[in-house]
Amino acid sequence: MADEAEIFSQLKQAVMEGDEDVAVAAAQAAVAAGVDPQRAIIEGLAAGMAEMGRLYEREECYVPELLVSSEALYAGLGVLRPLVIASGKAEKKGVAVIGVVQGDIHDIGKNLVKMMLEVNGIEVHDLGRDVDMERFITATQETQADLLCLSALMTTTMIAIKDYMPAFKTQLPGVKIMVGGAPLNQQLADEWGADGYGENAVEAARVAVRLLETK
Amino acid sequence: MWRETMTSGERMAALMRGERPDRVPVIPFLSGHAAVVCGQPIARISDDAEESFRCQLLCQEMYGHDGSPLYAYASAGGWEFGGEIEFPVKKYSGAVIVTRTPIQTEDDVYTLKVPEDVSKAGALPIALALARKQAEHGLPITLQIGAPLTWAGSVIGEERMMGWLIKKPELVHIVLDKVSQFLIKVAEHYVKEFGAERLLAFHGAATETNKLISPKQFETFSLPYLQRINQACLGLGVGSYFIHICGEQNKNLKFWQQVPMTKQTVISVGREVDLTTVMELFPEQIVAGNVDPTLIQEGRAEAVLAQCRECIEKAMYHKGGFVLMAGCDVPPHAPPVNVFQMVKAAREYGRY
Amino acid sequence: MHRDHSVKGKWVKCDQMTSQERWEALVNRRPTDRVPCLQFMLGHTAVVNGRPIAKIYDDGAESLACQRNAMALYGHDGLIMHGWANAGGAEFGGEIEFPYRKYTGAPLMKKNPVQSEEDAWDLRVPDDILSVGTMPIALEFSRLQYEAGLTVTLQVGSPLTWAGSVYGEERLMIWMLKKPELVHHVLRVITDFIRRKADYWIDRFGAERLMAFDLGIETNKLYSPKQFETFGFPYLREIHDHLTERGTAIILSHICGEQNKNLPLWARLSYGKRGMVSVGKEVAISKAREMFPDCVIMGNVDPVTVQEGTPEQVRMLCRACIEEGKDHPGGFALMTGCEVPPQAPPVNVDQMVKACRELGRY
Repeated sequence: MADEAEIFSQLKQAVMEGDEDVAVAAAQAAVAAGVDPQRAIIEGLAAGMAEMGRLYEREECYVPELLVSSEALYAGLGVLRPLVIASGKAEKKGVAVIGVVQGDIHDIGKNLVKMMLEVNGIEVHDLGRDVDMERFITATQETQADLLCLSALMTTTMIAIKDYMPAFKTQLPGVKIMVGGAPLNQQLADEWGADGYGENAVEAARVAVRLLETK
Repeated sequence: MWRETMTSGERMAALMRGERPDRVPVIPFLSGHAAVVCGQPIARISDDAEESFRCQLLCQEMYGHDGSPLYAYASAGGWEFGGEIEFPVKKYSGAVIVTRTPIQTEDDVYTLKVPEDVSKAGALPIALALARKQAEHGLPITLQIGAPLTWAGSVIGEERMMGWLIKKPELVHIVLDKVSQFLIKVAEHYVKEFGAERLLAFHGAATETNKLISPKQFETFSLPYLQRINQACLGLGVGSYFIHICGEQNKNLKFWQQVPMTKQTVISVGREVDLTTVMELFPEQIVAGNVDPTLIQEGRAEAVLAQCRECIEKAMYHKGGFVLMAGCDVPPHAPPVNVFQMVKAAREYGRY
Repeated sequence: MHRDHSVKGKWVKCDQMTSQERWEALVNRRPTDRVPCLQFMLGHTAVVNGRPIAKIYDDGAESLACQRNAMALYGHDGLIMHGWANAGGAEFGGEIEFPYRKYTGAPLMKKNPVQSEEDAWDLRVPDDILSVGTMPIALEFSRLQYEAGLTVTLQVGSPLTWAGSVYGEERLMIWMLKKPELVHHVLRVITDFIRRKADYWIDRFGAERLMAFDLGIETNKLYSPKQFETFGFPYLREIHDHLTERGTAIILSHICGEQNKNLPLWARLSYGKRGMVSVGKEVAISKAREMFPDCVIMGNVDPVTVQEGTPEQVRMLCRACIEEGKDHPGGFALMTGCEVPPQAPPVNVDQMVKACRELGRY
């Protein structure tokens, strides 16, 4: 029986190296060894992604590396997550709805945020791109989400965020709203009444966790 | 009272000759905004050469800026290689988007064809029609020649390409090679139709940002193709270049320096790159920048004016010359008064 | 350096005067380099500044900043002012809504102060006129104009238009026929209010710095010339005479819409040291020239074309106006026939100054 620490290290390494095959193999090894799948996710896969996030913030890796790591992460999760769910022990810090606003199809940033939220134990419902106000509201209500995350890459589409905000405030009371995307900044997020803003995916996840803790 | 003594044409000509004009020239860097101030749909700027040219000219006359009409959009490449695009007709949309990239699978890379007749590929018929208007009016004739990695992103799909940079680099190189072949053929076509001396070749380098890729990846995947394309254009006799280095690219700048170019090259940078840095790295070239587009859209006129002034004071005496420009496309719905602050600042603080 | 440029055989016309110089020359009956372009432009100045239209009306400082910024953008030569067509109601206790809502473009009266005959008979000039309705905003606006060294503006009616705002136009029209004495009573109170307002402005800012203006929507589409003569003219005359007697530098009347049959009466008003008359597209410039030989005529480009037409169509209208008005001995300025529509494409608005530069040279 493989050592638990050894398996966590393999999972972490697989994510950091972006190796889907190794990630799957290590996840299966964890299952075979009877390791708690929840811990394998947190201490293995998620730890690897968190480390990638740190490297990204230090500009020691870039988006291609993050994306490749996320593929390995999701491959490993594919093995472990069903077991966690089956065990009924799934813990989550909160529920988030995420999407790119109407008129915009640039979703790399959104995908990275989604992944970092999941790594941090947040259940994420991804509405994809080109999402209008009604869909955001309906999905947030249906999933009883705590957090609504909006992304826009263009100066035209970021206006959609500003336009949506009053309706979100009245129709989604208590839901924390986060915004992000290249043309936005903290000042605009504040002016428009958002609860949080992330300069990049790693920061976004930190802000999200903080918002959920103070909720 | 100080008054302008040059027309926009005279001012830009002086700049390109390496002389000091009457004041700092202003090229706001706008596309969709020209349609908005004319009361036209934003899509007209990219889907209709005649209307695009007309709107841009009217807009230029209104502001009194110095940028003549041109045809370009950031997501070029996808349509030219057989994909599908959507012009910005929907609410909130402001630029052309690729709705289906020509490459969907790894196999598609090998079968990807460089269009036989570039003049009929994708948006080229519209671009050429606009170029003919430029020729008719005696304006610089612009052609988009990259940047190759941004084009490859539109052909492959940005997210897919990001993964391939690491896992399938050879596939990205194949696409970059085909894109470069295409762009060189485009340059050849323009030279043949319009002659080389009036051409201004344009690179829009967006996907190259260090928010997405590393400097090392830039060196591996962008630089060789930029060099190849520019070398070919120089060989064809194209003497003027306009390179928009979009977003955070501080760590790429030393590679951009290695791209062959003439003194008649405008290096345009975003807010993320300090003008002083660019001035040091490109002492002979014309430096352009870098008013924050978000500020132009959301800020107050005084704040925009102050930032324009700061740019002017920093760079107006740059050896190679300076153009006041937004750091990226002026937001289509920016308040006209804010856009005008750029011209106002050049008149007030940018007198030579 | 004032030279014209030839660009590919096309002459680019350069101005020889600044807007400020041109405005002063026009007001002081001196020659100008070209036909001045005066814009009746309020909500549009907020739009091009990216601000809510309401700011033009409910915030003196913002209003002035937006108007000055727009003037720098387009290069027109005036006007800068605070006011709107159906003013008056708020000052007598009515409820006003500023245009924040979609599609709204000017203040609306939500509730007229006079709802019944009793209300009408009870109407009085408030003790402290400076604190009522939108007066604090108007005063703040004028104070800022004064501090900036600009011509100080004040709205002085027209009384009949204000009465519409006090009663509601429909009730006013019925009472003109059924209760004329009640209408006269209200007009009397409004006129007294305006006179007190004018006196305050003159005392505070000096008559030589003032431009008093009335926006008169006494169009013959609503009222007969006879009704204008009975209910509009006497009160207008009283105010104009009062302003003139007190040495007011400029009096400007915007004669809105179809008022051809009212013109002879408008022409009998006094106009201070310098009169300016703005007419809509319904009144020919030639007709206005004939009626107001000594006043600056301003007009009369169709605002709807400025909003909906092409730049070429706007330019053609400008050309026709300039040709018709340019050599008017009293002076001429190009202007729209009524307010520039807030959402007009900026390039169309720009055509007006451009036409003055290219087609309106002296």
